[in-house]
Amino acid sequence: MFLLACRKVFQTIFVLLIVSVASFSLLKLAPGDPVEIMLGNEYSAEAHASLVAELGLDRPLAEQYLTWLGHFVTGDWGTSFIARADIFTYAVVEALPVTLTLAASALGLAIVVGVPLGVLSAVRKDTVWDAGAAVFALTGTAFPSFFLGILLIWIFGAKLGLFPVMGFVPPWEDFWGGVYHMILPAFTLSTYFMAMIVRLTRATLVEVLEQPYIAAARARGEPGWRVIWIHGLRNVAMPLVTILGLQLGALLQGAVLTETVFSLPGTGQMITSAVLGREYGVVQAGVMMTATLFVVVNLIVDLAYPFLDPRLKPT
Amino acid sequence: MNDIDHKKILADRFASRLAASLGRRTVLKGIGAGMIAAGSVSQGFLSQPARAADGGHIRIAALKHIDTLDPHFTGFLASIQVINNIHNGLLKITYKDGAVKFEPDLAESWDLEDDKTHVFKLRDGVKFHDGTVCDAEAVKFSLLRVKEGEPKSPHAWKLALLETIEILDPLTIKLTFSKPYAFLPVALNGSTGRAGTVVSPAAVQKHGKDYGRNPVGTGPFKFVSWRENDSIELEKNPDYFEDGLPLLDKVSFIMMKEPSSAVAALMAGQIDGMTDCPMQLVSQVDAFPGAKLYGEIEGNYTYVGMNTRRAPFDDINLRLAVAWGLDRETLLKQAYFGRAIQSYTPISPPMSDFYDPNIATSGRGQWFDPDKAQAFRAKATNQNEIEVTYMMAERGPVGTRIAQTVAPMLAKIGIKAKLELVEPATWVQRRNGGDFDLFDFEWVADLDPDETLYPEFKSGGPWNFPGWSNADFDKYCEEAQVVLDPAKRRELYYKAEDILMAEAPIAMMAHMPIYKVFSTKVQGFQYIPADLINLHTVSLA
Repeated sequence: MFLLACRKVFQTIFVLLIVSVASFSLLKLAPGDPVEIMLGNEYSAEAHASLVAELGLDRPLAEQYLTWLGHFVTGDWGTSFIARADIFTYAVVEALPVTLTLAASALGLAIVVGVPLGVLSAVRKDTVWDAGAAVFALTGTAFPSFFLGILLIWIFGAKLGLFPVMGFVPPWEDFWGGVYHMILPAFTLSTYFMAMIVRLTRATLVEVLEQPYIAAARARGEPGWRVIWIHGLRNVAMPLVTILGLQLGALLQGAVLTETVFSLPGTGQMITSAVLGREYGVVQAGVMMTATLFVVVNLIVDLAYPFLDPRLKPT
Repeated sequence: MNDIDHKKILADRFASRLAASLGRRTVLKGIGAGMIAAGSVSQGFLSQPARAADGGHIRIAALKHIDTLDPHFTGFLASIQVINNIHNGLLKITYKDGAVKFEPDLAESWDLEDDKTHVFKLRDGVKFHDGTVCDAEAVKFSLLRVKEGEPKSPHAWKLALLETIEILDPLTIKLTFSKPYAFLPVALNGSTGRAGTVVSPAAVQKHGKDYGRNPVGTGPFKFVSWRENDSIELEKNPDYFEDGLPLLDKVSFIMMKEPSSAVAALMAGQIDGMTDCPMQLVSQVDAFPGAKLYGEIEGNYTYVGMNTRRAPFDDINLRLAVAWGLDRETLLKQAYFGRAIQSYTPISPPMSDFYDPNIATSGRGQWFDPDKAQAFRAKATNQNEIEVTYMMAERGPVGTRIAQTVAPMLAKIGIKAKLELVEPATWVQRRNGGDFDLFDFEWVADLDPDETLYPEFKSGGPWNFPGWSNADFDKYCEEAQVVLDPAKRRELYYKAEDILMAEAPIAMMAHMPIYKVFSTKVQGFQYIPADLINLHTVSLA
């Protein structure tokens, strides 16, 4: 067990190293001179040269990469040259908690709504309930988050005036304020996953409910809710956790759009504005951070299997 | 005494016929109509989490990228909109009775000893937000920081002619230039940067390169904080030198990238204004009774640029065919939502000493004349259908709409334009590197013909994207720089413009209005047609 974990962790580090080289090179290959973008339209050649030197962009690429890597692993992520802010503070202390809050709320909402709906639709297979859940699931997957977001803003923000349409209030500072500000963005981001969870839960459960041990449980006279929620649903946990781990990428991608529409100062906005401004340091930090998040979550998923399914415990 | 009052000439250059020529384009509507019912509900409902309850807190959506709050290093008007509320300059831009003027700001008086020597007497007792005194030393420090500081300020060129800075007494400073410098007031105040803005020397020493994140000025508001992609917070400067101002206690510039979200937030009463209103949303905002739109034609012009360095647009006849072949009326309607006016030459309406309100009938400039276009096309070297690349990006006030509207017009004169959509950063690089056949662009927030013509089209200049060069054009512009008499300057600029239009490295399109939006609760906003959001006189009802 310990050896397995060590091997997984080692793999993770290797993957991250590849990600860092890839993102670094892609960014350098992208056309567009960061200095030109930073200086706007009115500047002189001296100003340009002076900034190039200051940013170290005149040094060889390999040197730039190794310098960056050395600093990065020691926690010195450099200074954002547009914002003149410490990148570590900007990325990890300011932006990341926003995105994590958004992603966690969306995921939580998706599970809380999606699983019961999936169960309902499996238990009432081929009824109006089932069809309703299917329609809901299809609509959820079909709506892109930027469109749904703007739609919700118009209806619940501008027309009904029920919810705030922008900004982030940290729930650890003002819990209800945070929840209130998070409702629309979390719902926007969650629909896709909610739909996925409904379908996954239904499909798995329908299959499970036909297994002999379910019939056996029923025959033993166990109450219906126990058969479904304890015996049945346990089997949904495995595929659900796997899919959620793999779909984390989609979740973070959706977060970029959701953050833009709802003006949340998260990682997504950080990376997009940095890409448009060719702010290498910030993009690099952002990519590394999300890659780490992705890889670490999947590592946890891997390590969690034996607990979800005792059969997978190494003997 | 001098027989010519140079200062008056410089300061009043823009005094004028602007009101007459423009008419009142400010859209007034729904005054007195309160917020819509839903809006008022949301306000009560929202007051806890979303806004601090003090009456004097304005929340404005900032839609465009803000790079730094260092006035000497920014390249963006969006930054200037914030910077201007924190800092003051030697001079300031004012707009009264339809005329743009330059008036002393930190200076109490501004005199010219001769046409090259300017003497500024500073206000007494002005302090920076950090408590240090704003005196002649601080002004000298700021000017030198722009002129020769390290790292190099992108605005250093504006003070290239500044020879000596003398401190006559702690509150009097004398600037001597190597030539008469008609552009000075604009150099100190204008365009995307503030060469004449005064920063606290103590703060620059303390924060160094981080000054742009810790700005300390003398302005009506003090900088409080800047949370990335979130908001910039300012608070009232109780020691501001203008009596009784500012009126607001707090100002928040909230970064919102998605304009339609901002409009929704405005309608819901969650914000009080927008620094900018994209043209596609203007009608919608206009129809909303709870908001007021501020916007007039500003000092800008837009053009379709042709690469004169290489075939096919090294052919002057082909360029002229394009210049006369663009249907401006359709362009204004389809690309600019009917909000802009046609530009015949680059000089724009707010340059009131130079702009000819009757330009449409004057016979100067370019406009749509299909016969003329065909005639020039017939003279072009290449008589076959010509394929060209039109480089476009989702940038600028109307994105790719211009390219899409222009392409069918080019087809009528035998030019097949291949529209190539590139990402904005790539677009900038290719534009600067001359890697295109056609592109469209806009020069904005200009207050003087010098900045609207010369740097853009001087031979070999870095902003001369079409790569055009003409010695006579350069000569007229250079001559005009050292002439202070507006009538004479106008004559020279007209000559320069005529050459530019006749050789057509660009096809003129429009002068655009630049919009700002405030809720009807916001009172006392003084609109200045230089894309400014000065908040010192603003209050909330």
